[in-house]
Order: sequence, then structure tokens, then C-alpha cells
Amino acid sequence: MTASAEVSAVPPFQLERSPGSLIFRVSAGKAVRSGLAWGAVYGIMVASAALSYVSIYPHQAQRDQLELLFGSNHAASALFGPGNQLQTVAGFTVYKVSMTLMILGAIWGILLSTRLLRGEEDAGRMELLVAGQTTRPRATAQVLVALGLAVSALWAVTALVTVVTGRSSSVVFRVGPSLFFAVALSASALMFLAVGAVTSQMAATRRQASTYGAIVLGVSYAIRMLADSGAGLDWLRWLSPLGWVEILQPFTDPQPLALLCIAGFTIGLSILAVHLTGLRDLGSSTFRDRSHARAKLGLLRRPLGLSARLLRPSIIGWIVAVVLSALLVGFVAKAAGQVIRGSSVEQILARLGATSSGANSYLGMAFLILAVLVAFVAANQVTAVRGEESGGRLDALIARPVSRVSWLGGRTALGASVVAAAGLLAGLFAWLGVLSQSGGVSLGPLMKAGVNIVPPGLCVLGLGIAVFGLFPRLTTKAVYGYVAWSLLIEIVGGIGAVNHVILDTSVFHHMAPAPAVSPNWTAGMVMAAIGCAGAGAGLFAFRSRDLKSE
Amino acid sequence: MLKNEVAVATHRLTKRYGSIDALADLDLEIAAGEIFGYLGPNGAGKTTTIRLLLGLARPTEGSATVFGMDCWSDAVEVHRRVSYVPGDVNLWPSLTGFETLSLLGNVQGRVDVDYRDDLIARFGLDVSKKVRAYSKGNRQKVVLIAALMSRPDLLVLDEPTAGLDPLMEQEFRRCVHEAKARGQTIFLSSHILSEVEALCDRVAILRDGRLVEVGTLSEMRHLSSVTVEVTVAGDVPDLSQVEGVTAVQVAGQRIHCQVQGSIDPLLRALSAVPVTSLLSREPSLEELFLALYGEDRGERRAS
Repeated sequence: MTASAEVSAVPPFQLERSPGSLIFRVSAGKAVRSGLAWGAVYGIMVASAALSYVSIYPHQAQRDQLELLFGSNHAASALFGPGNQLQTVAGFTVYKVSMTLMILGAIWGILLSTRLLRGEEDAGRMELLVAGQTTRPRATAQVLVALGLAVSALWAVTALVTVVTGRSSSVVFRVGPSLFFAVALSASALMFLAVGAVTSQMAATRRQASTYGAIVLGVSYAIRMLADSGAGLDWLRWLSPLGWVEILQPFTDPQPLALLCIAGFTIGLSILAVHLTGLRDLGSSTFRDRSHARAKLGLLRRPLGLSARLLRPSIIGWIVAVVLSALLVGFVAKAAGQVIRGSSVEQILARLGATSSGANSYLGMAFLILAVLVAFVAANQVTAVRGEESGGRLDALIARPVSRVSWLGGRTALGASVVAAAGLLAGLFAWLGVLSQSGGVSLGPLMKAGVNIVPPGLCVLGLGIAVFGLFPRLTTKAVYGYVAWSLLIEIVGGIGAVNHVILDTSVFHHMAPAPAVSPNWTAGMVMAAIGCAGAGAGLFAFRSRDLKSE
Repeated sequence: MLKNEVAVATHRLTKRYGSIDALADLDLEIAAGEIFGYLGPNGAGKTTTIRLLLGLARPTEGSATVFGMDCWSDAVEVHRRVSYVPGDVNLWPSLTGFETLSLLGNVQGRVDVDYRDDLIARFGLDVSKKVRAYSKGNRQKVVLIAALMSRPDLLVLDEPTAGLDPLMEQEFRRCVHEAKARGQTIFLSSHILSEVEALCDRVAILRDGRLVEVGTLSEMRHLSSVTVEVTVAGDVPDLSQVEGVTAVQVAGQRIHCQVQGSIDPLLRALSAVPVTSLLSREPSLEELFLALYGEDRGERRAS
């Protein structure tokens, strides 16, 4: 047989479209979906801020007072960024959402980037892809392009919602400035995607890479905070990525020059990430990994101790987030209370039974945000439970003399304890914040407000355990989806009329806005009871089903 | 453990996933102290059987008992007497090897500490290393040591030597022999047929979720042909028409053939010529396995 005959004897096979860009296509699918979802969150927050401003501060006098109180308040500027032209819808919207979305976007950027780079490497999937028709630096470059597309998706959705919101006669945002505002809101996500790409090369695990990214974010926030503190350190803003975003000042006084810093930072870090990929072996890290450690056996006597040890970093992270948020809420309560005095918010709260006003009213609204955080703490506990099963690690415990009920019961009790601790600490630290400003709200009502946000968390935890028991593969989507749905209902419900039945599906809708009004302990007990029933159903179902990995 | 005790018994054990029978009507009995090999190609139902025996999955029909206790309803009691080495090792990446062994020992409730330390030395495992830094083979060593160190009455091993180098495989075989000498029962699911052949007292073979053969190797010899090599002094007889004789190959005075069933017809055919040598070799487990599945594949192609 001749060589050509041998070749022609090979059966035809289907060729991959373009094998060299496979990694880009795999990453882009995941990244763009995430970008679109977050774009929707950004859009809802922008629309909510603009429309609620129009609704809460309908009179120019109220708007002027807002500008007077917050426009030159250096303490508030240090925390939330400078407030410019707060007597306008545009100025207030920028002030209201910029810092929150800047930080959320940065966290999203770090998590997405480390997931698609270091996370894929940790899971061994990158090895399979890099073994194809590409090189490691090219693979990193392809992921970076996919991440760029994700930010484009985020920008597009944010811009669309901002433009549409701006067409309202009471809001009025022009198209050009709206698009620039969307650029400013997406900028921190873009920069921190690049930060995550570099830390993914430096760190040995995804968790480490995310931690390094969080450190960069923390330093960046602290520098910006100093710059905005009114101590004559405004120039420091040029040393912080978050400072560059502030300098853009969309709507009020646009400074597009700062975009050069943002673009330079992003491109520079992206090139560095690709370069570092080429300098190391696949699976290794630029920083030397601590692969050896001294044994610490303290918590490893029982499965519950193991859970506590494994969850310790994330529990501490969530508790710190709740505590800092509560401290900030307390810190600004006095000033914010003066602004909303006599506004429609107070009228709504009065209809709900509020007898006090000012700081109490503001805190009543602000504890809803803390309740959302506590609900996310609960959702995180549920997904950690599912993670042990889907990762196959639970087999190693359940194949030993460990009953399913004791394992899941222990995890549920641990989750409930974390939720309760988060609520109580929120009350305590909100009081400390209020105390620092002589805000005039005592410890008792704030501790009750802290207890008041625990039942929604317990409800989410219990319902999440029920889904875990009955439909384990849906756990993560269902539990985070429910918290996001509840939040959405609250936001949309705050803007306009929403059907009562739909409002009732939100776990936050049943929570009294304490300390503005007295906590509704009956509703709290009902939510806690629903949580207990859900947990019970989950335990029962888990006892009778197969263990299911991914 | 009582003498003549039944370690594992299944009765019409069945597991269905939707319309797929992962395991169907499995009847099995394994005596205490036995090393039992469990064979089958990928997807035959081996891991499903193990998950049912460990109570990680619930039978659709039928039942399974370990030392007389039901694998599903008495799972915790069963697990006090069982240790398991999974085929796909998933451990906690942030724990070190020693922390993992301590945790699993504490959870199991009993550990022979001297034996554990001996096993760590024999397998050459660096227990101060974090699990995420271990190679596949080293992760396999951790779960092997974790299973052996509690000296359970029943060891359930699912592909236990995957990722181990040949020296470590030998060490594993020594550990299994030691376990048998102590009276422990071993349920060994493996693709390494030489390992099963070297270690197991009895073997079961699964196909498409059904048990097709079970017995000692000698009892299973009928599944495959005996290989015969004959050297004759005179004319080479025509053996192609002899009952049970196949694959006849002639090279000079030497004849090579396969004999299925009784060897008598071949001996009668050879009685007419002077035979200078006659060698026969029984089939290895690999030949038995291939014969069984080769037949199956042939049937499938034909259908």
C-alpha cells in the first residue's frame, strides 16, 4: 500500500472550527453571561437611585438641603466619595451608586478573573485546553479578551438602562453623558479583572489569588479615602484606581483624561499577566507556594469541627463585611436622618407605625441592606454544604460512621449560628457608629433591629437546606436566586406599585423596618418557623436520597 | 468476627437511574476473610455496587447486607466495620496529609497508630504536605493508609492502585495479604487483572449491570480455551475437524491450537502419530476476561 493510499484510507473526521481560539470561546460564554447579569444589577440600581430621588425629594428645598448636608461633608465623602450637585437627579444618582458599584464591580472583576484563570488551572481543565493548539501566554490572552467582552456586556446593559431611565421627564439624562456614566461605573470592574489576572499568576490557589486582589482593592480604597477626607490630600486620588474613577465625575464635571490612567493600568496589568504566564509552569505560581504546613488538629475531631475550620475564612470575611457596613450605617445615620426628615420615606414609615423620625427612620431603611447581607451569609452557608457533596468530599465522611442527619444538622446549626451572630453584630456595630457621631439612638433599639434581621436569614437558610435535600443540583442557583429575587422585589416595590402577592414572595417584605418601627416579632417567628420547617424537610429528604456529585 | 460469617450478601440488588439499569438483580455472597475480586468494563456497575454497599446510594429494589446489617437502614453501624478507598479521590485541599489522616481516623473511631505510622513509612508519604500539593498517586496513598490504619473487618477498594507506581503496587499487595492474614475481608474492584489474579480467592464478573460469572479462577476456566502446543515426529495430522479444536497453526513439526471443552478428542486425534512433546496452558484471568467480553462484542456487532 502506498503512503497516499494509507492517507486516503483514514476516515474523514470533523475539524474543530478554529482550535486556536477554543479557550476564548469557552471563557467568553461564561464571562459574558456573568457580565450581562451584573449589567442588569447595575441598571436596576441606577434606575432605582434616580427614580427614588425624584420620589423622596420632590421639592427643590429638600434637594438643596441634601446638597448642603452631604455636598461638603468630608466624613461622608471619605466613605462614599465626594458628592457633587446633589440638588440634581444626575448628581445624586452618581453619588448614590458610584461607590457601591465601584466596589461591587471590583469584587466581581477579581472573582470572575481568578475563576476563569486560576480556578480553571486548579481544576485541571486549563491543562487539557493548553495541551491543544495554543501556548500558555496565548491561553491567558484569550481569557483576557473574553473578560474584556464581559465588561463590554456590563457596560452595554448599564448604558441601556441609564439612557432609558434618563428619558423619564422627571429624570432627564442626556444620551452622551449617560454612556460616559456607564463607562465610569464599569471602569473599576475592568481594572480589577486585570488585577485578578495578575494575582492568578502570582498565587497558587484561586482563594489566594482572590485574597491578593482584595488586598489591592483595600489599599486602593484606603488611598481614595484619605484623598477625600478633606485633609488637603486630593492629589492622592491619582495614586488609586478607585480615585481615577472618582476623577471621571460623570454628569457633573466630566474629566475623560482619567480614562488614560484606567486604560494604561488595565493594559499594563494584562501584558504583565500574559508575561508572567510564560515565566512559570502550568499549575505553579510566581510566588512560592507554602505546600507544607504544621498539623493543627484542634478542630479535626468531628465533622462539625472540620466544617468550622473549612468555613472559617469565609465566615470571617462575611462577618467583617456586615460589621463594617453596620458601622458605616451608624456613622452616617445622624446626617442622613436630617435629610429625610419630613420626606415621603418618613410618611411611609409613619404609616407603618413609626413614632420617631430622623436617624431612626434612616436606620430603619439601612437595616434592610444589612438584612440582605445577612441573607447572603445564609445563602453562602447553604452553597458551602452543597460544595462538600458536589466536590465528592462528603463521600469520605458519610462512608464512615457519620449519620447524614448529624452531619447536615450540624452544618445547619453552624449556619444558623453565623446568621444570628451576623445580625447581633450588625446591631452592636451600628450603635457604635451612631455613638461616634452622637446620633441619639440607644443600644437597645439597635440590638432589637439586629435581632430583627436574623429571621429572614434563617428563612433563606432553611429553604436552601430544603432545596439541598430535595433537588441538590439546583441548590446554588435556587438559594442565590431567591435572595436576588427578594431584593429585586424590594427595590422595584420601592419605586412603584407592585402586586401584593408578588411583594409577599420577598423574604424582606415581611420584616419590619426597625428601629424606625418596633420589630414585628410574630412575622419574625413565622419566618424562623418556615426556616426550621425547610431545614427539617431538607434533613428528611437528604436522609433518603443518593449522594450526588456534580 | 465469627468464623463462617457472611461479610457481604446481596439479594436481587437493583439500581436504576431513570430507564437505565445501572445494576440489575445482583445476588452475591462473600464470606468473611475472603478476598473477592470484582471485575467489569467501564459502566458495568462496579462503582454502583460499591455505593449501594456503603449506603451512599439507595437500592431501587432488593437488599444488601454487610455482616448481617442492612447497608441502607443500618449504614452507620455498617460503617463502623468498613473502610473504603474510592476510585476518584476527593479530599480537602487545604489540609495536610497528616491532618487528613487524623480527621478520618477520628471520624472512623478507631486507629492503630503504630500501624498508621508504619504504613506512612512503607508508602513513603510526606504527611506534612498539603493535599492540594499531592500528586494523584500520593492522594491515593492517603486514602489507602486511611482505610488500612483502622484495621476494619471489611475493606472496600475501588481501583485502589490507580496512580501508584509498581513498587507501591507491590506494597499494596503486601498490605492486602497482611489484612487477609488477620482475617479481614477484602472487596476489590479493579481493572488490573494481574492484581486480581494474584490476590483474589474468588472473582465476580459484571456486564451491563448484571452478574455474568462468579467463582474461583479454576471454576471459571471453562470460559476460555486451553492453549496447546504439540510437536510430532511424523506427518502432521489434520486437526481442523477435531471437535473443540480451533485456531490451528502449523510450523514444521510444531502445532499450536486452542481447545474448548474436553481435551479428549485432541488426544485421540494425536494417538495415530508419535508425539515428542505436548504443552498445555490454562487461560489467565485476562484471557478469561477478554474471551467473555470479546464474545459480547461479537454478539453486539452481529446484532
